[in-house]
Amino acid sequence: MAFEPVLMKHVNVPNSTALTVYKSDGGYEGAAKALKMKPDEVVDLVKQANLRGRGGAGFPAGIKWGFLPPDREVTYLCVNADESEPPTFCNRITIETDPHMLLEGILIAGYATKTTIAYIYMRGEFTEQFHILQKAIDEACAAGYFGKNILGSGYDLECYIHRGAGAYVCGEETGLIESLEGKRGWPRIKPPFPAVEGAFHKPTVVNNVETLACLPHILTRGVEWFTSLGTETSAGPKMYCVSGPVNRPGCYEAPLGISCRELIYGEDFGQGMRDGKKVKVVLPGGLSMGALRGDMFPKNPNPDQPDPKQDYDELDCILDFDDVRRYDLLGLGTAAAVVVPEDVDIREVLVNITRFYALESCGQCTQCREGTMWMYQIAQRLRAGAGRVCDLNLLVEISQNLGMMPGLSICGLSDGGGWPVRNLVQKFRKEFEQRIAEQGADAAARRIKEINPAAYESPIRGYQAAEVHP
Amino acid sequence: MPTIIIDGQEIKCRKGIPVLQAALDAGMNIPHYCYHPGLSVVASCRLCLMEMKMPHPQTRELGWDPKLFPACQTPVKRGMEVRFNSEKVRESQRHLMEYYLLNHPLDCPVCDKAGECNLQDYAEQFGSATSRMVEQKQKNPKKDIGPHTLLYSDRCVLCKRCIRFVAEITGTGEMAVVNRGSRNEIDVFPGMPLDNPLQGNVVDLCPVGALLDKSFLYKQRVWLLRTTKSVSPADSRGQTIFIDHNENGIHRIRPRYNERVNEWWISDEARFGWHHVQREERLDQPRVRNSDGLRPERWEELPQVLRQRMQTTLGEGGGSELALILSPMMSCEEAWLLAKHIREMAPEATLVLGHVPIVGEDRTFPKGFVIKAEKCPNRRGVETIIEHFGGNTSTWSDFLAQAVEGKFKAACVVGGYTEEWVTKEVAAALAKVELLVVHDLFPSALDETAAIQIPSATWAEREGTFMNCDGLIQPFERAIPPLEGVKADGQFFYELAGETGLYRAKKVREMMAAELPQFAEVFIPCDVPRHAH
Repeated sequence: MAFEPVLMKHVNVPNSTALTVYKSDGGYEGAAKALKMKPDEVVDLVKQANLRGRGGAGFPAGIKWGFLPPDREVTYLCVNADESEPPTFCNRITIETDPHMLLEGILIAGYATKTTIAYIYMRGEFTEQFHILQKAIDEACAAGYFGKNILGSGYDLECYIHRGAGAYVCGEETGLIESLEGKRGWPRIKPPFPAVEGAFHKPTVVNNVETLACLPHILTRGVEWFTSLGTETSAGPKMYCVSGPVNRPGCYEAPLGISCRELIYGEDFGQGMRDGKKVKVVLPGGLSMGALRGDMFPKNPNPDQPDPKQDYDELDCILDFDDVRRYDLLGLGTAAAVVVPEDVDIREVLVNITRFYALESCGQCTQCREGTMWMYQIAQRLRAGAGRVCDLNLLVEISQNLGMMPGLSICGLSDGGGWPVRNLVQKFRKEFEQRIAEQGADAAARRIKEINPAAYESPIRGYQAAEVHP
Repeated sequence: MPTIIIDGQEIKCRKGIPVLQAALDAGMNIPHYCYHPGLSVVASCRLCLMEMKMPHPQTRELGWDPKLFPACQTPVKRGMEVRFNSEKVRESQRHLMEYYLLNHPLDCPVCDKAGECNLQDYAEQFGSATSRMVEQKQKNPKKDIGPHTLLYSDRCVLCKRCIRFVAEITGTGEMAVVNRGSRNEIDVFPGMPLDNPLQGNVVDLCPVGALLDKSFLYKQRVWLLRTTKSVSPADSRGQTIFIDHNENGIHRIRPRYNERVNEWWISDEARFGWHHVQREERLDQPRVRNSDGLRPERWEELPQVLRQRMQTTLGEGGGSELALILSPMMSCEEAWLLAKHIREMAPEATLVLGHVPIVGEDRTFPKGFVIKAEKCPNRRGVETIIEHFGGNTSTWSDFLAQAVEGKFKAACVVGGYTEEWVTKEVAAALAKVELLVVHDLFPSALDETAAIQIPSATWAEREGTFMNCDGLIQPFERAIPPLEGVKADGQFFYELAGETGLYRAKKVREMMAAELPQFAEVFIPCDVPRHAH
């Protein structure tokens, strides 16, 4: 059975952002259906559909809504449109081509959670998208889909866009709430969780754009349709992004559970590597979720038993919420794969990843603030041809301290910053060691003497300290 | 009172407090930077991470959770069990200390904080001797952020206590973090320096040497300082303080925790209100007027001279033409001793509460800290004592009015104010008095007509108690000896009253308590160990 795209069905439809076009294809019918039900029935429906959050963590949306205190008076809905995970651009496509699908999702989620005000927290760099979405909101308001007494149901909902100022950490739900309140985007300590005390000290639900975009389809097509897509634990359609030197980079919709190889080589997806190169590394869930070895490595003789410790091709990893863990990835993340071909130096990849987190750590928790920058500095030195083998151990240790053990930091950014570094160093250690062996014998010593003479000369803070340290 | 187990020890603690506070109260040394009992919890330094026993998700059996929990953010619950002494926790502390020192300069030899620095202490107790950092260190600038404060942001550990202080306690919000990630820096907003009446507290709050007091900069190594518990004379609230002094000189004043008055903070008036102690102009010997003006007199002769002059002026009788002006800068003991002695000598003498300096209005800050407009420590104490003696009493303004009319032949005026207090009216009124005895810190317009001038000592050179505006009686101790040539007020009054030996405030208080039972008990705030801040 060929898969019929739903989230991206309007991508090539002319003038798809207009309300009339959206309505002509069954738009706002899901919302109309939801408004005839009781709010709790909508929550149950979403629970049955097992709609897992598309933002990265994969937490079931219905259960998240269930955490709201039953006796609340005011509820806010925050829509996380701060899409800032590096190779990810699926929310952008939703907003650009089908803003009303998002708005309908907001209406349904708002009704289910008894929200009165919905805030769309939008990435600051989305300028054109802001205007598109604002126009769509104006249109929907004029047509009575927002405002007072929506569709005669007696339900009121207002919707506002709040634009961010360009910080990765504002995509973290409590960082987003702080930023929305006009403060510095620093994630909050939990508990209290946003469902209990969120924006403006009121119960708040934070949902990703794609999660909400799924809602109209669950209502119109039913739970059975939704759960028939995808794998057992990960139901529904998903927008996969693929970027890098593939023949057809872009965003593609598929039921959850395609393999990474399919995403790169599939006819409907990436259509293979440019110039017939092999893949060295794939970061399949944005940067934060970790790295997979590409097909330049030999095939695993036992494909059902992935072994991240062995140098095998890992492209058979199924991109759903659970299988990725067998390959030592943190999670599905945003399902945006960035492909690195075989001729790229692995040290360049490391510098790129560490640089991102060093610049984007919010700086609250010590190990994330200091650790991410330290890793970046080490990576830069490695790239400059002045690495030491002990630097690799150090990188693994720092990345482990960032968040391998849960609870070490306030939010997930530090886990996300540490995981790909550890993954990369562990999975590609041979190449790193080879590169270090290719350097001049005393390259590291010379470089360290140059950049930090005190560390080079001091007997305690010596440049060999990394080896003597426990 | 819930009982919890920390490191195998059963600890009784107050309800609802964080585990970290319970551990600190029990005397445990748990490293922490961002936590401060007087500020909100941000749990960002991650130093107080601990292991906690949690029920297993399936079997519900209690066991050590693989997760680490910040002790400052976890409230105590009956029967909970946590530990800080496990290898996992120590490992995490060791790593964090390494991170803190990555970009920290090694300038302890010139840092004012050295010796009382939490970074030094924790690095020694929880850190490791080596650093594996061989990259270039990041250097943040040194900044002048206000009239009294410097910020050496290269030393900063970003605990953000200062930011929370100016946001929550003073409500002025001058400070903020600028930049992101490891380039985070504390700064003030352009054109908005750190300048509020409580700003000095950020220097005490800073666990490292990043925030520095300009008046203490490079003045003393802290391990040379000796510390005395005292009460600030800056306003009538009786803020409790520590006086840090060395070689008979005061070097700084720090807040002393007081759950009933100032908690962890003091006002800048209290903090910087000691410079009068070292002013050049201070009176340093008693002087008596004879035909060629005020001439120095020996302390030993003074009681005799005073009595003689009084008798000559007042003659026989109850002394109704004598007024005793008691200053609200006096301690309760001193006021009682002097009033008692004068009343014994002249039972009809008028007792007057002297000038009470009032500047502006009371100022209340968002979390309840109050700076009083009444800039003297013991108005209420002296009032209580005057009331106790009863008989002829008068207010300061009534006294002045009567003095102008020439009602008083003799007056003993006790001053001791830190600022100039003698106005033209006061000088004119007291000029009508035949025998004027002035007991004060500094020369004033009264010297022109004074018959006897007696130098007094500052509060740091005396001991006794102050009764604050709410009636709380708090003792203060002597920090430094009186200026050379000066006799402490209490000692002089003691000798004047014919007592022999050393004046001890406690002894006098016991005598007072026989008549004034409220002085039997004084309030001493509980000691908070240094590691608990």
